Amino acid sequence: MMIHVTKLSKSFENIQAVKDISFSIEKGEVFGLLGPNGAGKSTTINMMSTILKSDQGRIYIDGNDLNKNQNDCKHLIGVVPQEISLYEEFTAYDNLMFWGSLYKVPTKVLKQRISDLLELIGLTERQNDLIKTFSGGMKRRINIAAALLHEPKILFLDEPTVGVDPQSRNRIFEIIETLNAKGITIVYTTHYMEEVERLCNRIAIIDNGEIIAQGTQAELQKMSRVKEAVEILFTEISTSQKAQLKELVPFNTNANPNKVSIECDVNKELSKIIEICNACALSIEDLHLKKVNLETIFLNLTGKQLRD
Amino acid sequence: MILTILKKDLKLFFSDKKAVLLTFLMPILLISLFAFAFGGTGNSSNKTQAIQLLIADLDKSTESTTVVSNLDALDEVRLVPKSLDEAIDLVKKGKYVGVLILNQGLQDSVNRGTTLPMELKYDASRQIEMGMLQSVLMQELMSTIGKKQIKTKMNSYFDENFAGMPQHLKNKIMSDMDVTGSKSSGLGLKMTSVIKEDSKKGNLGLIQAVAGTAIMMLLFSIAGIGGGLLDEKDAGTLKRLLYSPLKATDILFGKMGAALILAILQLVVMFVFSWLVFGLPIFKDVTALVLMILATAFAVSSFGMFLVAIAKTRQQLQGLSTIVILVMSAVGGSMVPLFVMPAIMQKIAVVSVNYWGIQGFYDIFWRNLSVIDILPKMGVLLGIGLVMSLISVSLFKKNILKLIYA
Repeated sequence: MMIHVTKLSKSFENIQAVKDISFSIEKGEVFGLLGPNGAGKSTTINMMSTILKSDQGRIYIDGNDLNKNQNDCKHLIGVVPQEISLYEEFTAYDNLMFWGSLYKVPTKVLKQRISDLLELIGLTERQNDLIKTFSGGMKRRINIAAALLHEPKILFLDEPTVGVDPQSRNRIFEIIETLNAKGITIVYTTHYMEEVERLCNRIAIIDNGEIIAQGTQAELQKMSRVKEAVEILFTEISTSQKAQLKELVPFNTNANPNKVSIECDVNKELSKIIEICNACALSIEDLHLKKVNLETIFLNLTGKQLRD
Repeated sequence: MILTILKKDLKLFFSDKKAVLLTFLMPILLISLFAFAFGGTGNSSNKTQAIQLLIADLDKSTESTTVVSNLDALDEVRLVPKSLDEAIDLVKKGKYVGVLILNQGLQDSVNRGTTLPMELKYDASRQIEMGMLQSVLMQELMSTIGKKQIKTKMNSYFDENFAGMPQHLKNKIMSDMDVTGSKSSGLGLKMTSVIKEDSKKGNLGLIQAVAGTAIMMLLFSIAGIGGGLLDEKDAGTLKRLLYSPLKATDILFGKMGAALILAILQLVVMFVFSWLVFGLPIFKDVTALVLMILATAFAVSSFGMFLVAIAKTRQQLQGLSTIVILVMSAVGGSMVPLFVMPAIMQKIAVVSVNYWGIQGFYDIFWRNLSVIDILPKMGVLLGIGLVMSLISVSLFKKNILKLIYA
């Protein structure tokens, strides 16, 4: 187990930012902390990355108790902060040299790692340019590289795609996937559910400082009891047709008498449902698939939108 | 629309209590300070503060004792009796403005009407006080022993050249000549600076300008450099530094070290410039100068970091440092030489880093004191630096999370 967190709590004056949370992360996992702004994601990351002391609870990093062995833990983790924490007046190379030297990486080794990382993030050509001349996406990539110079076993990424264009975002995803393929355990916080869906093996949904649910996406779906459905609007449906249809497939109705909602596994059962409609001589005017995603799970679990 | 913006801005301004204080309270404090500095306080009588003058009575005669008691009775002067050697040493070190020496033979000179063996040795760096003192001394000495000396001298002259002149006629002539007047001619008060003139001695105005300005500007520079720490907070790099194996104190000490090096460099550049352009004799005692630069740089850089440790934002630091540095520079003699300030201000000046720095450089360039003699001032500067460093470390450790999450 790479990270083990038990009953972690943290308050700021009268506000309890994190309430009694527990979770574990296995080696090589990409673990997502998903929640809206102010949910407690960054506070949790800050406690796990040693800069914030918890009020209660324990954190173990690769078996080391963080409270007792902070310095060793700092060498095991790399943190990509939400802000672009780089010196704008330094070149990309100088920034990386500086951040790497804080971990006492021998100069020769450090130079090689910088070269490898610049290659990985695709910025070798720009290594001697000042950071202030970089685009937001390029800065984000250097921001990630700066956290990897001491070769950490765990990488915390705190909303690493804030303010970047879709192309740069994809590039960042590729970098994360490459790092994970190399065996680095990733802890990823975001309020973008599509990022978690793409990157994370397991997810913890956090809201108001509490973990509401955690598991794989399938497990979360099960927990939330949200089911996929297809909504069909017929041109017209008579009472007898409704009765005939109900015998073949159960459905719910709503305010519109010509509209029905059928819970099903959309991918597997949609064609069969259309065949049934045809068999009942029903003419379909419109069809809307209600697929289950983290957004709907989150909505179901918390009663609010992820971006509220 | 404009009114809405105006209301919003006023509301924002008054919600920042520190900004309100800086805007209204600080100018009042500064006005009060300068009023004190230039003696503009108190009632309209403008009664001057007594100047402390050392007295070395080597004659120990009736006349010299009368002179001492008459001078001591003056409101403008407070006499401090000392032995000659001790008195000269104290004046050399800048502790007193001067020493009045009543040499042996004073009584005889008064009786014979010859030049009075009196000497006023003074610190030329305190010219304004000296001017006031000279005027008071001349008036008093003339009205006591000067009158007697001139009468005796004139009687001798009449006896030699107009033998048999009736006494009432001699008295009439002396009365018409007003020998009791305040003119100093014939009094023979010899005035010498305790510091021997030599080709290597710095110009007083230049020393004041260089030392005063250098320390004030250094304080501003260091506050600016230290402010980089607050910029790091805004940029997020401070937080990132804390993710690394560095300790909070490592970050502060690193910043203090950089500030110290830059402070030393800045002082060196300023002194070299003053040497090249104005001829300040910086090589007259290189050891003393180097040690003084190191002590001053340490005190100033620590003080700058102390200001940074108090402030939470760049804006706060800017306001705070401007006010504190201006006040300290005014009080400590960077803006106006201390000797033009009232005695109370000269006493208050010791709380300022500027005071100890400027006086240390005066000791080197003007008073020609040895390293040993300047060590106490260096010690005070190092002490200030040490205390400020300890407070800064403590405040920084305590506030670092507030800094990150503010």
